Amino acid sequence: MESKPSDQTPLIPVKIVVAGGFGVGKTTFVGAISEIEPLRSEAIITEASAGVDELYVDTNKTHTTVAMDFGRITLQNHLVLYLFGTPGQDRFHFMWNELARGAIGAVVLVDTRRIEACFAAIDFFEQRETPFVVAVNTFHGQKLHGEEEVRTALQIGPEVPLLYCDARVRVDVQRVLAAVVEHALSRVGSDDPDDEYPNLGAAAEGPIEGRFGSLRGGVTD
Amino acid sequence: MTALRGQPRKGGRLVRPYTMTGGRTGADQPRFALEALVSATATGLRTRSQFHWEAAEIIAMTRRQTAIIELAALLDVPIGVVRVLTADLLEKGAVSVVDPPSQTVAEKDSRAYTDLLQKVLDGIKAL
Repeated sequence: MESKPSDQTPLIPVKIVVAGGFGVGKTTFVGAISEIEPLRSEAIITEASAGVDELYVDTNKTHTTVAMDFGRITLQNHLVLYLFGTPGQDRFHFMWNELARGAIGAVVLVDTRRIEACFAAIDFFEQRETPFVVAVNTFHGQKLHGEEEVRTALQIGPEVPLLYCDARVRVDVQRVLAAVVEHALSRVGSDDPDDEYPNLGAAAEGPIEGRFGSLRGGVTD
Repeated sequence: MTALRGQPRKGGRLVRPYTMTGGRTGADQPRFALEALVSATATGLRTRSQFHWEAAEIIAMTRRQTAIIELAALLDVPIGVVRVLTADLLEKGAVSVVDPPSQTVAEKDSRAYTDLLQKVLDGIKAL
């Protein structure tokens, strides 16, 4: 339909990132609450420069694309919330910078049967000081591990909210998203922005490579 | 442990999708956020026929505000291509772009950012 351009109050976009290992249910999580079917966008990347949509690529390799799934929720007060699922494969972790830039916060979705799959996401958001919550996807109502057990396995302190959810269930997803924003709110207004994550060092227990190392090397507990 | 993939290398060749942008990557243009909202202006709608297909399509699709990433998904072109085309359209006054406030507000004004977050929280709870 031909019509004049929108002359209503413009919408304001905000975003929350949904991270976690491959196959943990990120797109399901987004789809449970999105008003559109989750869509997939692609960016052209080069591994060499770790940049997105770079023009020049390695002469010996072809370019590759990375896909991001996302959903949209229109909120009251002219806000529109975008949910971005991070690319699951480890080799696309550098894409997360693009996704995390300007995000209100993040959800790290965890499957306790493959808990190590989310280490990289936790490392990333800690390092970047992006407010995040951990949401354990309970799938078919299974709560396989207790909260303390999960916290210990993930090396996260009490300052990081941890919730259980079924990524297919809208109210569960809604509750997790609310927790992200509440957590982000609790982190605003700190006098010293450098001190927003006082537990960064302790929680990570050593350099960031710690979790990556165990992820890649398969270090036993 | 796997080393970081590759070292930066010089040279290379054009990636095909960028033929839509005349080979430009937008390196010298504003880098819109993925969720930045694009909307067609009256000028854009009036002059739409003067633009190439993808750009004209962006104008048509943004009668209703639409995010950069949505445009890429719906047009089935890489995000970078949409960024370049949108920058062109913006320069010609054919679209306007609303950037997400969180990127700048958070750093400059914690009070305004708190207000924004509170509104988002209220909105999520009201769903």
